[in-house]
Amino acid sequence: MLEIKDLHAEVGGKEILKGLNLTINAGEIHAIMGPNGAGKSTLSYVLAGRDGYEVTKGSVLYKGQDLLDFSPDERANMGIFLAFQYPVEIPGVASATFFKTAYNAQRKYRGEQEVDAMEFLKLIREKTNELGIKDDMLKRPVNVGFSGGEKKRNEVLQMALLEPDLMLLDETDSGLDIDALKIAADGVNRLRSPERAGLVITHYQRLLDYIVPDFVHVLADGRIVKSGDKSLALELEEKGYTEMSAA
Amino acid sequence: MKQLTPLAQDYIGRFDTALQSLPGHDNPGITALRKSGLETFSKLDFPNHRIEEWRFTNLNALTKGITDDVLAEPIARSEAFDAHIIFTLVNGQIDLGNSVLDNLPEGMRLTSLATELAKGRTELLETEAAENRSVVALNTAFMEDGFVLELDENVKVDAPILIRFVSNGGSPTNARHLRNIVHLGAGAEATLVEEHVSNGGHAYFSNPMTKISLEEGAKLHHYRLQNESKTAFHLSMVDCDIKDGAFYDNFTLSLGARLSRNEISADILGSGATCALNGAYLMRDKQHCDTTTLTRHLVPENDSRQIYKGVLDGESRGIFQGKIHIAEDAQQVAGDQLSKALLLSDRATVACKPELEIYADDVKCSHGATSGELDEDALFYMQSRGIQEDEARKILITAFLTDVIDEIETEAVRTYFAKIATDWLEGV
Repeated sequence: MLEIKDLHAEVGGKEILKGLNLTINAGEIHAIMGPNGAGKSTLSYVLAGRDGYEVTKGSVLYKGQDLLDFSPDERANMGIFLAFQYPVEIPGVASATFFKTAYNAQRKYRGEQEVDAMEFLKLIREKTNELGIKDDMLKRPVNVGFSGGEKKRNEVLQMALLEPDLMLLDETDSGLDIDALKIAADGVNRLRSPERAGLVITHYQRLLDYIVPDFVHVLADGRIVKSGDKSLALELEEKGYTEMSAA
Repeated sequence: MKQLTPLAQDYIGRFDTALQSLPGHDNPGITALRKSGLETFSKLDFPNHRIEEWRFTNLNALTKGITDDVLAEPIARSEAFDAHIIFTLVNGQIDLGNSVLDNLPEGMRLTSLATELAKGRTELLETEAAENRSVVALNTAFMEDGFVLELDENVKVDAPILIRFVSNGGSPTNARHLRNIVHLGAGAEATLVEEHVSNGGHAYFSNPMTKISLEEGAKLHHYRLQNESKTAFHLSMVDCDIKDGAFYDNFTLSLGARLSRNEISADILGSGATCALNGAYLMRDKQHCDTTTLTRHLVPENDSRQIYKGVLDGESRGIFQGKIHIAEDAQQVAGDQLSKALLLSDRATVACKPELEIYADDVKCSHGATSGELDEDALFYMQSRGIQEDEARKILITAFLTDVIDEIETEAVRTYFAKIATDWLEGV
C-alpha cells in the first residue's frame, strides 16, 4: 500500500529525514517510535502533504501512485487520514458542519451522491455511539475549548467517519489519560481490516498495548535504524532510545 | 488662496442654475439653508488628507471630476428578501412604479423629501445645526430628494421597510445628493433596510445623508447594503440622536464602489439608551472602504458597542476609525469597540484608528483592533480531511464573518446579507 524509498525531506532548509525506507502492506499496522526530534512528525506531515515540508530526494508510492504529486485534499480523498498530534481549533465552524463538508467532499471525489443533513446526522450519531463519544461535541466549533483528550477523541471520530485506507496517527497518545487512550485505540482497532493499513507514530510503548502493531521501527536522526516485531517496543521501553539507536 | 478642486469649482459654478429646480426652491428658508451650505462648502472644499478625519481616505480621484460614464459589466445583484413596503429612488428621483407604498400601517408615513418640502414642511430641515463637515454642507446645498420616514408614538412596524437607491447611467451630473429623514416617536419601532445599488458599472458620485431621531423608548434597526458600481464613489453620512431608553443599531455591509466612506455619528442623549454600530466590508481589486464612526455619550447610564469586520483581497484597502466620546458627567457608561480585518492578499492593507475620548471617571470602555491572514494550520487541517483549498478558505472566511452577521437581529435581513457575502466569496 505504501512504499517509501530513500526519503529525504527538509523543513525551513534543514534536513530532517535522511534516507528513510519503509514499506507497509495492506492489513498491517506499523509503529514508528523514536526520540524527540528524530523526524516522526515530519514523516507524517510529508505523507499528508503539508506546505513547507520539502522532499529533496526519494519517492513515496501509495497504491502504486506517486503520492508526492497530489495535494493534501487529494491524498485525503485517496484514503489517507492523519490524526494530528495537535488538532487545530477552528472558531466559528461547527464540528458537525465541518465533518459533513469533509464527508461529502470525499463522497464527491469518489463519484458518490452527497448526503443531506438528516442522513449525515444519523451516520455521525452511529459513530459517536460506537465510540462512546458524547455528541454535544458536534455542536461546538471544531476543537475550540476542547481538552487535550477531547481533541484526540475528535480525531478518532473523524477517522471513524471517513474510514480511511491508510491511518496515520501522530502521537495520538500524547496527553491522553487511560480512558481516552482506550477510546482512541478502539477507534483504530475497529477499522483494522485486511484492506487497510496503519502507521502509529509514538514516543511511548503504552499505546501499543492497545493497538498491537505487526511491525515496530525505531526512527533516529531521520532514518529507520532498527525494525522488529512488537517485542521491539518493549525492549525500547526498557533500554531507552539512546542505547537502541546506538546499537 | 489655494485653488479649489475642479469638482468643487464645478459645483459652485452651477449652484445658481441648479437652485431653480431643486426641491424647496420657492421657499426662502430652504434657499437660505442651501446657500449657507454652499458657503461652507466653498470655504472648505472637499476634504483632503491634511484633515485628521480624512488622513486615510484620498478623494483625488473624485475631486478631479467624474468624466467617464462608461457602462462596464453590470454588477450581479442578489434578489432582496420579500419586502412589503418598498420605496425606490432612481438617480435620486422617486420611482413610484417600483415602489410599494399602499397599505402603510396607521401612524406611519413614508414619503419623499421633495414632496414634503413642496407641501411646505420646511421644519423637517430646521434642526440643521452649523456644519463644519464639507461633504454634509455640499449635501445641504444640493440635496435633491430622499425618503422621509415618520412613525407616530408607539407605532410598531414589524415588516422591514426597504429603501432602494438605484443608480443608472446617463444622468447629466452623475451625482446623487440625497437627504433622508427618519423620525420615530416615543415607543415606536421599525426595521429599515437601505440598498445602494446600480444597474450597470458606470461611474457616479453617491452622497446620501440620513438624519435620524429616536424619541424615548423608540427602537430602530437600520441595515444598509452598499453595493454600488465598482467605479462609483460613495460618501454616506448617518447622524442619529438617541433619547432615553431608545435603541439604535446599524449594520452596514459594504462591497461595492471604487471608493466608499460610511460615516456614522451617534449622539446618545438619554439614559438607558443603546447604540450598536456593526458592519462588514468585503473588498477586492483596488477598492477602498472607510468606516468612520463617532459615538458620543452625552449623559449618564447608557451603552454603545461596535463590531466591524473586513475581508480584503487584491490591492484593496480598509479603514476603520472609531471614536467614542464620553462627556464629563456621563457616568456609568459602557462603550465597546472591536475592529478585525482579514487580509487575503499580500497587497491588501488595513488601517485602524480607535479613539477613546473620556472625560467621565466611572465608565467601562474597551477597544480592540486586529488584522491577520487566514490560519494556515486550519487550512491544512481541513485539506487533510479532503476539503479542497478554495472551499476551506471560504469556510474560514465565512466563519470569520459569522459573529458580526449574527448581530443582525432581523432574520430575513440576516439571511439576505449572509447570502450576499457568500456570493461575494465565490470570487475569492
